This record gives sequence, C-alpha cells and structure tokens, in this order.
Amino acid sequence: MARIIVVTSGKGGVGKTTSSASFSTGLAMRGHKTVVIDFDVGLRNLDLIMGCERRVVYDLINVINGEASLNQALIKDKHCDNLFILPASQTRDKDALSEDGVERVLHELINMGFEYIICDSPAGIEHGALMALTFADEALIVTNPEVSSVRDSDRILGIIQAKSRRAQSGSEPVKEHLLITRYSPKRVEADEMLSHEDVQEILRIPLIGIIPESESVLHASNQGNPAIHFKGTDVAEAYEDVVSRFLGQDVPLRFTQYEKPGFLQRIFGGK
Amino acid sequence: MADLTPVFAGSVFLSKMHGPAHAREVNPLSLSPMSKSLFQKPIEIKISTVVAVSAILATADRIALDAALNEMTGGSTDFFEDDLAVIDVAGLPADCTPIDWAGIISLLKKYRLNPVAVRNAPPHLAAEIAAHGLSLETAVKSREPEHAPQQEPAPVAAPAPAAAAAPAETNVMIIDTPVRAGQRIYARGCDLVVTAVVNNGAEIIADGSIHVYNTLNGRALAGASGNPNARIFALELSPELVSIAGVYRTFEDGFPAEFARKPAQIRLNGDRIDILSVNSATRAL
Repeated sequence: MARIIVVTSGKGGVGKTTSSASFSTGLAMRGHKTVVIDFDVGLRNLDLIMGCERRVVYDLINVINGEASLNQALIKDKHCDNLFILPASQTRDKDALSEDGVERVLHELINMGFEYIICDSPAGIEHGALMALTFADEALIVTNPEVSSVRDSDRILGIIQAKSRRAQSGSEPVKEHLLITRYSPKRVEADEMLSHEDVQEILRIPLIGIIPESESVLHASNQGNPAIHFKGTDVAEAYEDVVSRFLGQDVPLRFTQYEKPGFLQRIFGGK
Repeated sequence: MADLTPVFAGSVFLSKMHGPAHAREVNPLSLSPMSKSLFQKPIEIKISTVVAVSAILATADRIALDAALNEMTGGSTDFFEDDLAVIDVAGLPADCTPIDWAGIISLLKKYRLNPVAVRNAPPHLAAEIAAHGLSLETAVKSREPEHAPQQEPAPVAAPAPAAAAAPAETNVMIIDTPVRAGQRIYARGCDLVVTAVVNNGAEIIADGSIHVYNTLNGRALAGASGNPNARIFALELSPELVSIAGVYRTFEDGFPAEFARKPAQIRLNGDRIDILSVNSATRAL
C-alpha cells in the first residue's frame, strides 16, 4: 500500500528540501522503493540537493501536460537503486500544476509500485503548497524552534485539516508528524531558542525527530549529497532516527541535551 | 509560551464585527461533513434551519427606519451582505395600519437585507403580507420580555446585563481539535465549546458564550451578533483580543498578571470588558 507523504512547513528556509532529500534517501536505503517529487515549480532546488541537476531533461509539468512519460522524467538517484527523483520545472508557471494532473501522476507512480511518494512542498500556502498536500496520507511538518516558524506550521496544519483530500472526503485524517530542524540545545539552554517541548505544546502533534543545527547540512547541499549520507555526523544519525520512527521503531530522542565539550574533545579539537 | 507576540495571522476588521455580516466570511473548515451522498435523487426534502436576522420594527415609518438603518450601518452597503431577514412586527403600535409593506421591503433591500417572512403579525394582516410575497412565521413563540424591542445587532452593549438572562438556545458547537493560526470557527446562534488549545492567529466566534477548556491564545469574540450577556471562559488565558457584543479589548502589555495562567472569565460591564476569576468571587479591573 503506497503512502504519499508531504514535507511542508509554511515558512521558507526551515529545511523542507534538506529533509525531503534525507528522508527519502533513508527510506530507499532500507529497501523501500521511493520517489521524491519537487513541487516548487519555478524555484526548483531538490535536484541540486540530490546532485542530479545535470541529468534533468523532463520535469513534473512535462509529465502533467503529456509532453513526456513518467519513465522519461524520473531520475534514478546516484546512490540508491530504489530512489527516484521527479524534478520541478524551472521555467514554467506554478499554475501549470493542475489538481487532475497531479492526481494522475501520483496514481501512475502508485501503479509503478512505489511504496513511498515524498512530496517536497514549496514554502507558503499558495497553489504549489496546496497541490503538494492535497493528496497526502501523512505529513512531515518541518519546524524551526522559533515563533514565526511555529506559527506558520500551525497555519499549514490547519490547511491540511481543511483542504487535503482526506479532510474533504471525510476519511481518516492526514497523519501528522512534527520534525524540528536546526535545533541547538546550547541556545535552548541559554533561552535563546524555543525548546522542543515548547514547540510541541503549541502544535500538539507527535514528534518524529529533532535534527540538530549543523554545518554539515550546508556542506552536504553544496556537494549535492543528502545529509543522511554523511555517516557519523549527528545530522545523519538524527535523520536515520526519523526514518526508523517513521517505519514504526521505537528510538530514543537524541541531540536534545547540551553537552559541554569534554576533556578529550578539547585536547583533540573538533567543533 | 505566553511570550508569542500577538501578530494577527487571520484578518478581519473590527469594524465588521458589529453585525452578522461577517458571518459570510466564515470558513467553517472541517465543521460540516462534506461527504457526498451515495444516492443522487432529483430532489430531497429535509428539515433544515436557516439563519436570518430579525428586523424588529418599533415603527412603520419609512423615513425613521431609513435614518436608523443608515446610522446603524454607517452608510456601508455591505453591512448585511444579503442576509435573510424576518420582519418582526410585535413592537409596532396597533394603530399604525395600513403598513406600507412594499416600502419596508424595498427599504430593507436597499440595505441588502433580503426579507423572507414576517413574525408576530396579527391574523388580519395575513392576506396583505402574503400578497407581498412574504411568508408568515407562526411556529415561533412570542419573544421573552427581556428580549423586547431592542435594536438588532447592538454595536455597543446595553448597560447592566440582566442577572438570569438564559437564552433559549439549546444548541452548542463543540470543537475537540486544536484551533490553529488562520483558522476561524463561528458558532452561529449558539455557544461554542473548545476542548483543545486555541493558538495565536486563530479566531473563535460565537453568537453565544465561548468556553475553552484549555489555553486560549488567539482571538475570541462572544456575543458576535450583539448579545451583551455573552461571556468568555477559559482555563488559561493569553488572548490576542477578546470581544463581547462588538466591544473589544487587546492586551498589548500582556494579559493582567493576576489572571494569567489560571481559569478566568471575561464579561461585558457597560462598555468595558472585565476580567474576573472564573468563579466570580473576586472582582477586579
């Protein structure tokens, strides 16, 4: 049974695309046939983060308009055989995303045997974001621990509860997961940042993971490799935990406590 | 979490809150079941309740009515937005016949009220009312004394709310899921009970009272169609704005400390919004 998962946030720059890339890679590395779709028509980024920008020939809009088949547009990931990328169009207008067209593409992907379809939503609450969430079965709400991001996540949750196909048809509601990114335990301790408990108290949805603030994310994007590939970094491990929890495993929360650099760390350096 | 700055994510203008006109903007979100019927019949007859404003006449004089309506709406043409209207003639003096029905109807239409029925009309007027295409409303009992001729949506509250003015409504709207930024819930003609959190940027509106068995952080507007006896209750209050019968209060300097983070109620006292302990033993501000 295929699941459609939207990765959304309302606010821009909180880590939707980074999270989409690592989450879909994590699912694929565990043997699940996964596709990740970039819904950010006009501002496509996912192909850059996934390092496949030079292989983009056709895109989502071409498929919706019948100018290319899905097989032509899907790009196989360079690391995982199970992972495919459906890029957004860089040149078209986002109004080209018709609801019928999106539904048709999603159905076709399900018929091709994909287990997980990850929809990387654009920022905002406009048409593109609506199209990304309309057909979702589950939602990863990406939130930074600061008030404006939390407010926007709250807004997008309301929209999911009102506008998604599941809400409109009165079937079982979209399953919501809170993913807190760019979390800095040190700044939380200094009261400069909301704690994950604070965020949860406002949003009131189950927490699926906390991704610590890290320089390795920027490094990963610049290299065109999803952060989850950087084994041994706390970001990669945090994304692995998210995937485990999503697949039903019980994994304890990590990277929420600030640890002062220990004696050895101070001697041998490191950040 | 009381330090969330009150930025209004949803937007209504306060000037629109005095009348029922804003009701049309309300997006009922997931409140009404949208599922399509499995069987499509050409016609289905079901009992349904429609909401209309009542236009309670104290005079049948067109010019006086025109002046009053003009003052009430402030000259705005979209105040009523084609709301259905029931003309209540209980308050008319017995000697003011003949009533200029055509004149009254066209006057109400001028203010974008859509008269559909007449309430409390004496039997001998039935024929002429029917001749003007209006229905006679007979099923409704006569109004309770404390609701006696009162200007429809009163923008400013009447003083000294009657002690035991229990409204006749038995309906209530209950919301069990968090009310989120940008969401707006309107309990039309009844009380609103919310058991989940009301977040900043959310707006809950009721024609009756509002009860929040959780934290109220957004905007709450009770007595939205002019009931000054409506109140707002919450287990924990940190609202952006509260309003009763169109009289509102914001909390730029934060919610009064002695009522923060504990159950409290908000009521209208004259034209002033008061915050009280929920069991009204203590009284302040």
